[in-house]
Amino acid sequence: MTASIEPTPTAAEARKTARQMRRFDNPWLNPKLFWGAGLLLGIVALGILGRIFWDPDLVFTGSAMLKLPPVGFENLRGQAGTLANPLGTDGGGRDVLALLIIGAPNSLFVGVLASLIGMGLGIFLGFTAGFVGGRTDDVIRVLSDVMITIPPLLILVVFQSAFGDVSLTMMAFLIAGFVWQSPTRLIRAQVLSMRESGYVQMARLSGASTFHIMFREMLPNLVPYLFGSFIANVTTSIVTAVGLEVLGLGPQRIPTLGRTIYEAINAGALIQNLWWWWGIPTALLAVMFIGLLLINLGLDEVSNPRLRKLS
Amino acid sequence: MRSLSNLVTVSAIALAASAGAIAAQDVAREDTVIFDLDRTIKDPENFNWFTPGTKRMHGAHQVMWEPLFILNYGTGELDPWLGTAITSNEAGDVWTLSLREGVAWSDGEAFNADDVVFTVNMALENEEISSREASTVRAQVASVEKVDDLTVTFTLNAPNPRFAVENFGVRIFGSFLIMPEHVWAGEDPATFAFYPPIGTGPYTYTSGATNRMIWDRNDDWWGAQTSFQDLPEPQRVIFLESGGEESRAQLMLANELDAAQNVSVGTFEAIQAQNPAVIAWYDTYPFAAADPCARQLEINTTIPPWDDANMRRAVAQIIDRTQIVNIAIEGATVPSKTMFAEYGSMAPFIDAVVEAGYGLPATADVEAGQTLIEAAGYTMGSDGIYEKDGEDLSVDIHVNSASIEYTKTIDMIVEQLNRAGIAARSIPVENGVFWGEVLPFGSYEMSYSWLSCGSVNEPWASMGRYTVKDVVPVGERSPGFNNTARWDGPAAEAYSEIVARIGDLPLGDPQVPGLVAEAYSHLDAEMPFIPLVQSAKLLPFNTTYWTGWPTAENYYNHPFFWWNHAHQIIHNLEKAE
Repeated sequence: MTASIEPTPTAAEARKTARQMRRFDNPWLNPKLFWGAGLLLGIVALGILGRIFWDPDLVFTGSAMLKLPPVGFENLRGQAGTLANPLGTDGGGRDVLALLIIGAPNSLFVGVLASLIGMGLGIFLGFTAGFVGGRTDDVIRVLSDVMITIPPLLILVVFQSAFGDVSLTMMAFLIAGFVWQSPTRLIRAQVLSMRESGYVQMARLSGASTFHIMFREMLPNLVPYLFGSFIANVTTSIVTAVGLEVLGLGPQRIPTLGRTIYEAINAGALIQNLWWWWGIPTALLAVMFIGLLLINLGLDEVSNPRLRKLS
Repeated sequence: MRSLSNLVTVSAIALAASAGAIAAQDVAREDTVIFDLDRTIKDPENFNWFTPGTKRMHGAHQVMWEPLFILNYGTGELDPWLGTAITSNEAGDVWTLSLREGVAWSDGEAFNADDVVFTVNMALENEEISSREASTVRAQVASVEKVDDLTVTFTLNAPNPRFAVENFGVRIFGSFLIMPEHVWAGEDPATFAFYPPIGTGPYTYTSGATNRMIWDRNDDWWGAQTSFQDLPEPQRVIFLESGGEESRAQLMLANELDAAQNVSVGTFEAIQAQNPAVIAWYDTYPFAAADPCARQLEINTTIPPWDDANMRRAVAQIIDRTQIVNIAIEGATVPSKTMFAEYGSMAPFIDAVVEAGYGLPATADVEAGQTLIEAAGYTMGSDGIYEKDGEDLSVDIHVNSASIEYTKTIDMIVEQLNRAGIAARSIPVENGVFWGEVLPFGSYEMSYSWLSCGSVNEPWASMGRYTVKDVVPVGERSPGFNNTARWDGPAAEAYSEIVARIGDLPLGDPQVPGLVAEAYSHLDAEMPFIPLVQSAKLLPFNTTYWTGWPTAENYYNHPFFWWNHAHQIIHNLEKAE
């Protein structure tokens, strides 16, 4: 019976060992990263496949009957959902599925574009401030510190009301004006500490140009930070964009998830129990944010090995 | 869903409660009647109704300032109010007004002929005061004279058989309101704020903010003392900005609103399902009362390419009115055939226009529209939008964002135009900006409006709004919102000339329908505005605290409670059992 007392390597322990090993695996093979990316790719796929298999023209006013429920439900008038509009229609006769197919990638697009522009600016300014230092640093630092205190939504509401109808790209540019400060500060801080490190000193002694040191020597070491910052910015940008859309600002005829919610609220969808009109876009926004959050958590683990679970 | 709906309800109640709390003091909810206000009061301490802005429909002309007469839409007669009679001489150019005896301002001063003469003279002498009613009086009246304390005579520039109803009858929205001479004397009418305001009505001003106005009953009201009318039952009247369809509906459900502004059919059905005490004009579909202001697409005829009549006609061809009715108004109205409101009394004029071949089709003829566009030198681009000299054919349509009826109609038109090859887009604007800055100054290409509104039983009031005498350059204020399209040129002059002839004929003259058709040929050829659909207003009334609301069955007058006739509604309200 002694054999039973001896601890035998069980399946659970084998998994534990395997998990421990992961700490030294390729950090990019992170499950959170995968799930997050999967959810976002799902939304992109919805946009691409939807355009192929579904009629995107159904997003326009008057393409179908009004206020039809999704398949399997009934609306207040007792009309049942039909397969012609599987997720129902809104109060303007727009197909909700088509709204999602066109609207969800649009919301993601604004977020990614705004964030890309903001990051580009942030990387450039952050490196310049950190590496060049002196007056340049002062100017950039003060500018970003001031900008970070300004609530973007407030300014953007004024901007957009003045512009009236804006395109998605225009909206992304406007938002980008408010998301460059934190990457600037982050990168500046990293660059300041990195500037004194041995390999940078070495490169400098070897006569490498400022540009070369900044972007060829230092930038690669910042990639995980940059990614994390990028994803956080995408989230901020989407929240800002959706916030504007829910207020009825932003593009008028191009469907976005935020605008759909705005129209639902404005047209009394809550009291009429048209839950599919505001509920489905809200759910999709939730999926989008969960995806971004998972990616962000995953990237944290990539850049900070101590966060990786040991058991 | 349920919980979210509850959340909204709760916050709506909280909002109403907080608004109530400011007002609260000591009037109980069951003694208070709360009306919906569909706009922000930009300047709550300015009651100079001669100047632009929200100065009247927040209760001032519903409960404080009384009209001389009220046009009864049911009988077609003028119900006497501060005036008892108004008659003209044979020629129709001298009118004699008799005032009611015993009328007093709320500060105790007597209301008499001096006030009338003073106010009319103020309108005649001050070009800068711009309200529609003041402009109309200025255009028509040559002089005004006091005969005795209760009699005034008006001498007109030209005979006008409609003088009384046009100026003092609350035909559409307002009337020329008489101001107290003892307060206004010596003030500059263009800048005087008239705060705190006084009136002759049964309520006096208590407090105001940008989102509400509170009025309390004056138990010493002259009307009760002279037994003109009993004191109205509500002790307090509140006009509260509800802020959109959803909150209107939730306030109705919570019984925190007694009369709401227009809602869509679906929303009304949902309100009624949850609160059976809520009623409307009709008890069955489509519920709504016919509004005398038919909807139209206003076109600024000075901006290319819309200065070309054929381009405007192309747009008219492309618009599908039936689709607007079905999608934007949920079937609760009908497409317009002409510029006129389709009341029975207007039928002779509408029929004359339709018989002459100028009636508008209920559906679109997109190809005919496209032919006109192509004839103007445009070619269809690869993106499905017409272009000329490398520029897309585009149009911005300004729309008042206060009601989803407006925005949904324009969304529908934007869609129809885009599909036909015109890159249209909608520009939603806040109510005050829309009426205060966009429309009167012509700072738009096209916009959604009802500015041919006016005729109820004769054609002149509507047709007279698009004559050349009211043309002003873009950037200057159109007088009384007349001809904001800035329609000018030989056709407009020919039109104006015929309309002037119609204006000289007495009501009911048999020549009128023929002349209307003749004038309409110019409108049809030039399309300075495009009539869209008839208007129907679905106004939910709550019978939880108050009964006696105007309905098709209890038709003492129409239900548009933001008009100057709302005095009649207030006097008809009875406390619910």
